Amino acid sequence: MIALDELRDAAAKAFPSGRLTPPRTEGWETIIEMGWLGIELAERDGGLELGREASAAVHYEAGRSLASAPLAVALASLKAVAASPMLADRANWIERLTTGGFVSQPLFPHSVKLANDGMLSGTVSGVPEADMASHVLLQTEGRCDLVPLGDGAVTVIERTTWDPSRKFFDVHLDRYALNPDLVVALDEDALKIREMLSDSLLMAVAADSLGGANAVFTMTVDYLKTRHQFGRPLALFQALKHRVADLKVRLEAADALYWARAKDSSNLTEIGGLKALCSRAYRDVVEEAIQLHGGIGLTGEYPCHLFFKRAMLNCQIGGDADQWDGQVGRELLAL
Amino acid sequence: MTQALDTLRNEIRDWLVSNAPSDWRISASTHEAFVAQQRAWFAKLVEAGFAIPHWPDRWPGGGRSLAAQKVIYEELARADAPRLLLTFVSTYHAFATLQECGSAAQQARYLPAILDGEVWCQGFSEPNAGSDLAAIKTRAWRESRPGGDVYVVEGQKVWSTMAQYADRCLLLVRTSSEGARQAGLTYLLMDMKSPGVSVRPIHQIQGDEEFAEIFLDKVEIPLTERVGDEGAGWAVAQATLASERGLTLMELAYRMRGSMFRIANQVRAAGLADDAGIQRELGRVACDVDAVCALADAFLAKRMDGREAAGDASVVKNAYSRALRSWSDLGLRVAGLAAQYREPITYGELNSGNWMADFMNSYAWTIAGGSEEIQRNIIAERMLGMPREPKEWQL
Repeated sequence: MIALDELRDAAAKAFPSGRLTPPRTEGWETIIEMGWLGIELAERDGGLELGREASAAVHYEAGRSLASAPLAVALASLKAVAASPMLADRANWIERLTTGGFVSQPLFPHSVKLANDGMLSGTVSGVPEADMASHVLLQTEGRCDLVPLGDGAVTVIERTTWDPSRKFFDVHLDRYALNPDLVVALDEDALKIREMLSDSLLMAVAADSLGGANAVFTMTVDYLKTRHQFGRPLALFQALKHRVADLKVRLEAADALYWARAKDSSNLTEIGGLKALCSRAYRDVVEEAIQLHGGIGLTGEYPCHLFFKRAMLNCQIGGDADQWDGQVGRELLAL
Repeated sequence: MTQALDTLRNEIRDWLVSNAPSDWRISASTHEAFVAQQRAWFAKLVEAGFAIPHWPDRWPGGGRSLAAQKVIYEELARADAPRLLLTFVSTYHAFATLQECGSAAQQARYLPAILDGEVWCQGFSEPNAGSDLAAIKTRAWRESRPGGDVYVVEGQKVWSTMAQYADRCLLLVRTSSEGARQAGLTYLLMDMKSPGVSVRPIHQIQGDEEFAEIFLDKVEIPLTERVGDEGAGWAVAQATLASERGLTLMELAYRMRGSMFRIANQVRAAGLADDAGIQRELGRVACDVDAVCALADAFLAKRMDGREAAGDASVVKNAYSRALRSWSDLGLRVAGLAAQYREPITYGELNSGNWMADFMNSYAWTIAGGSEEIQRNIIAERMLGMPREPKEWQL
């Protein structure tokens, strides 16, 4: 059993915070080399079976360095495949997805519908890193399928996002015929997998947010200590100290809630609330980071904007804060 | 270890079922009734061995680990039992001061009396020494008396919790104005019945009287009542202030979480349960409150492992006090006009559902015990290593 601290150290080395936005291929190779694709996978399937605290530690470090390798999506897809009660060649799929094969999946609701004749049509927006994926894992009403991106009925179009650390794609399906060998789950099983994938993605985005928020926070405090105006470091001005201290309180609270919920068996609403809290903290920290950096924070040469753009996108992935806060509130009112 | 904690948890949980007062909110509607209730509840907890888990094991119910102490406070919060306010300074501040710095004679005299219900208050802050505690001006000088030398004390103390009910006071005075400000302070134990002591309760904006002013008019205190050396008062005061690290905030955070239902009830009563905006705000406050609970837990876990760092306690305090403000603010807004009609308050309660009172009381936590601004300085300077303010300033 690898200790969490060791894993954290290994992840910190793999994604050094001094080197932001490492190339995607490089990060992906590291992930494969370290065996992190099997981090949560059961031992009987050849995985490390380390649980979500462990994968969180890696997502956190990836977030610190603004890594673009799609680890969160890869892990979620692998989970779905591993949990599939009916996928033909399941063992082969697991082997493939732990050694570098990649299946993407949409991070947002989509409009794909299953017609009566068994054909899928519609558009899926927000499919990350589809250019390196062989398939996309698609959840439609009552089912979950692997859709090959090379199929003639499937078109993939890149959409440029403001966040340069990620690549998003639209996937158009025009009467795609479902392949019985690529069915992952149906009905109840599909619902279970849907919930599991949400949990996995929300935890990953929350950890990524905390990692990024902490990195840009440290950068900002260092900048305030270094930059002089009026013959003194900016860090001496109490007005700025207090703003920074408030951010620190936000970050520590989000961090504490994250590790508490990673440990216990929180339900999906609790995880959603956590993701709302962490991504909002990221956004608020990074907004302040730009303001506290002053003019240089608005330049493309300085990395503040990279964190800013990633934070904004994180806020949207897996449901935004409004959606999850509302859900937490409704459940409280229903008690 | 875990098993022993589970046993303790079950033990106190069972005990609370049959012993925790359930009507305390209603019966604490006058300050006198509140104080009587506090005394009775403390006596009960002492008898059951749950009042002083942090004292050494020669005391009944003492010698418990921090983890065990945490279990006790978690269960007290869970059972919604009254919080011990009246005896808080006695069992934490007075105890820690005497234990660490008091003479054997002082310990033998005062510690057992605390368990019998003797109430202590703290005489540190002054009208011109609040956040800047080293600015204390209350003077003490020595004079000879037939029965032995005494310190004669003159000055004024303020923000003393429950001083109007206190038997004794932990008193910080200035015995010298030479050299560094901290070096001129001396720590004394004062009998509140001494001639020259007068106490005036402070009327708080929400109608409580949790604090008092203490006026000292040539009060004589025997030299034997000094803790530590003359001029060592600042160091002794640190022992007092460090006596309680994290348990109270954890207990308070848990109580706030246990009170989320009050806002939910208020939302339903106001017919706003389907209001999407209110649902979001409620969810957001709930997440913030959960985060404060997790933060308080994490802080105690750090302490148990000896990993506490400078500023950690300040982070927990500011997170709690801000969450408490949001908690009471949401209830207040949802309640609307209803909350503007003055209803009797429950003394010593932070999460009562009397929204104006709760909201006003939440300021006690952003101001008392080191204001939010002082905590921000501590976080920025000691935790984040930002440079300290220059000591001297000129126009």
